[in-house]
Amino acid sequence: MSDHFSGPRALADPTADISDVFAFPAPENPQQLVVVMDVFGKAGPTAVFSDAVIYRFRIRPVDIDGTGPDAAFAPGQGDFIFDFTFDVPSGRSHSGRPLQQGRCLTPGGSTISFRIDDENGGANDGAQVFAGQRSEPFFLDVRMIEKTVATGKLSFKPKGSDTLYGTNILAIVIKFEWRKILKGGPLFAIVCETLAAGKQPVRIERVGRPEIKNVSLSWKMFDKVNKDIEIRDLYNSEDAFDLKPDYFDAYRARLNANLAFYDGLDEKIDWPFDRNGNHPLAKLLLADFLVVDPSKPFAETSYFEIERSMLEGRTHVTPGGRWLNQDIMDFVFTLYVNGGNGPPVNDGIDAPITWSSNIFPYLAPPNPAKAAAA
Amino acid sequence: MIDPSEVSAPTDWPVPGPLTLTDGAIAVLNLQAQIDGLEGPSTFAEAATLIDLLILRGLILGRISDYERAAELVDCKVGTAITDAAAYVVRARTRAVFHRFTEALDDLDHADRILPQGAAAERERAAILQAMGHYNEALVTHEAAAADREEKFERAAALAGFWAERGKTETAQHFYLDSLRSYRGVSPFPLALLDFQLGLMWMRQDRLSEARTYFRTAVRRVPAYAAAQGHLAEVDAELGETEAAIGRLIPLATSSDDPDYAAQLARILGEIGRSEESIAWRRIAASRYDELTTAHPAAFADHAAEFWLGVGNDPRKGLRFAEFNLRVRETPRAYDLLAQALDANTTGAASARCFGAQLTNRAAMQP
Repeated sequence: MSDHFSGPRALADPTADISDVFAFPAPENPQQLVVVMDVFGKAGPTAVFSDAVIYRFRIRPVDIDGTGPDAAFAPGQGDFIFDFTFDVPSGRSHSGRPLQQGRCLTPGGSTISFRIDDENGGANDGAQVFAGQRSEPFFLDVRMIEKTVATGKLSFKPKGSDTLYGTNILAIVIKFEWRKILKGGPLFAIVCETLAAGKQPVRIERVGRPEIKNVSLSWKMFDKVNKDIEIRDLYNSEDAFDLKPDYFDAYRARLNANLAFYDGLDEKIDWPFDRNGNHPLAKLLLADFLVVDPSKPFAETSYFEIERSMLEGRTHVTPGGRWLNQDIMDFVFTLYVNGGNGPPVNDGIDAPITWSSNIFPYLAPPNPAKAAAA
Repeated sequence: MIDPSEVSAPTDWPVPGPLTLTDGAIAVLNLQAQIDGLEGPSTFAEAATLIDLLILRGLILGRISDYERAAELVDCKVGTAITDAAAYVVRARTRAVFHRFTEALDDLDHADRILPQGAAAERERAAILQAMGHYNEALVTHEAAAADREEKFERAAALAGFWAERGKTETAQHFYLDSLRSYRGVSPFPLALLDFQLGLMWMRQDRLSEARTYFRTAVRRVPAYAAAQGHLAEVDAELGETEAAIGRLIPLATSSDDPDYAAQLARILGEIGRSEESIAWRRIAASRYDELTTAHPAAFADHAAEFWLGVGNDPRKGLRFAEFNLRVRETPRAYDLLAQALDANTTGAASARCFGAQLTNRAAMQP
């Protein structure tokens, strides 16, 4: 849910609204890479995938192009693409859920058919897929984030209120033998997209890193350059691997302003701007894809470790990417506020209603309809 | 001031390419899923979204209970967010649904005083002014709201609806095609709502074949769209396809809490001599109109007037509601309805015809 409600256009089509992306080596098999796309945050029991949307996973080999203050990635050319499409539902299951068939087109051109909500999903040619309703793995206290931004003071309580407690999402999960299906590596950049299907599919949304569009880009009031512009629909429409130079400065100005705000929350500067007047994280964060190294063993809390190692001029030791159970809000706020130079920032929410497991399809089964209200 | 003659249709309209839209059945399932998922404790932004979704479901499925729930929620939210401008904008939208136009405009003014509002709130204001029959102001406000050129679809759709209501068919169609060309979403709802407005426009022009095309398009996009199904049935009946009309209306009249469908059914059944069935549906409609005009007099005055002047067969009651309706909204249709009501009340029939002519002239003088 780190990207839910991430722009006015996304609001109109909940099935095209990507809430989170995860990438991690399979906990049970280091030869396999798992990538997850969540859509439709706070989805009620009847939620299904759109038959007019292509749910796309783009995976590219990526190199490290610089370290220290010049830390940057250099994505390779050409994607390995997994495309998911869905039919109009026909009938209902015993549990009352609509029955919907889906298909995954793999980078090798083979098709995997499956029925949504079937935990075994479908499998073919070194890949296993799942799509269906699951428990929301993300957890955060939105009210206290808003209060922090409104007051300019960290407002998290020791025991917060999880805005997403007991809610569900629609998830798509792929597990595959990465050495067999991908070429290059072992560093890969991953971005998920939703596209309006048709002869020329049109990108509706894209997500790579968590909390870029909401926590990092959404606040307009600190941005002296474009304080009136809702920048996120424009940002969503861009190719994550090829941002248009025309708009890059607008995104960076927004990010510089908002990151500076967060840095000041502990009344000391941990991220002095560089000689060009940019926040040291801005360029790395605008490389808005998850970077994962599946040759490293599975780790619980590895998001941004590759990037931190680049900034510090050392070799990364974890797979990076992002595991389902990592407490992203604590991580992001600690990173932005003190860069790890101070005590960890705790948002008062340390777990979702149910942890994801180490077994395919990893995300916990959906919560009963009334769990959120209770 | 914008001269309508400046907004003319081009001689050669490029036809928009085929649109990829979510199947209407999926869209309704997901609308339900959105509403279910947002029930319970939430942020204000989510509550505002829930209110919008309830209004949308009310509009699509013809469920007045959804509008009522939206109104309850918004009153509660404004109470807890008294200094939040967005709360007043949401309440304005809900009040407009119930034709409480003056209060809705007050809310928008209040929101503007707290924090100047953007294009979305201006579009809200324009729609309210249009519904009240203040067409010049509405058009100026529509154009002001359109200053944000990023929102091409919203602008074109609003103007298509405006000109459709004004009966300017060429201009309405020009903006309708503009809307189709600029639509970037996959939800079928915005386009089905637009198809419906164009269908209504042709229906009011007595161009039933064209009306049927647009209503059918709306129904093809969203089969559960109650108002489109209901109006399609009405057109079918006018074109002599009575059984098809009855087939469309029975499920609507049975499931919807909006009495319009029962009233239409009663009328059509009466016209083909199925009197007992007609009387039964008429009773159901009458009872529900009485409930609704007690709870929300402004919102249902026009439809109630039409009912009582027609199959409801109580012209005096019809006149009362037609008079009240004209106080709520000074539109040409409201004047026409009053003229019709005066005509139907025999004691004033002559003067009604005379007054009706004046009213029609007055209506024609509207921009």
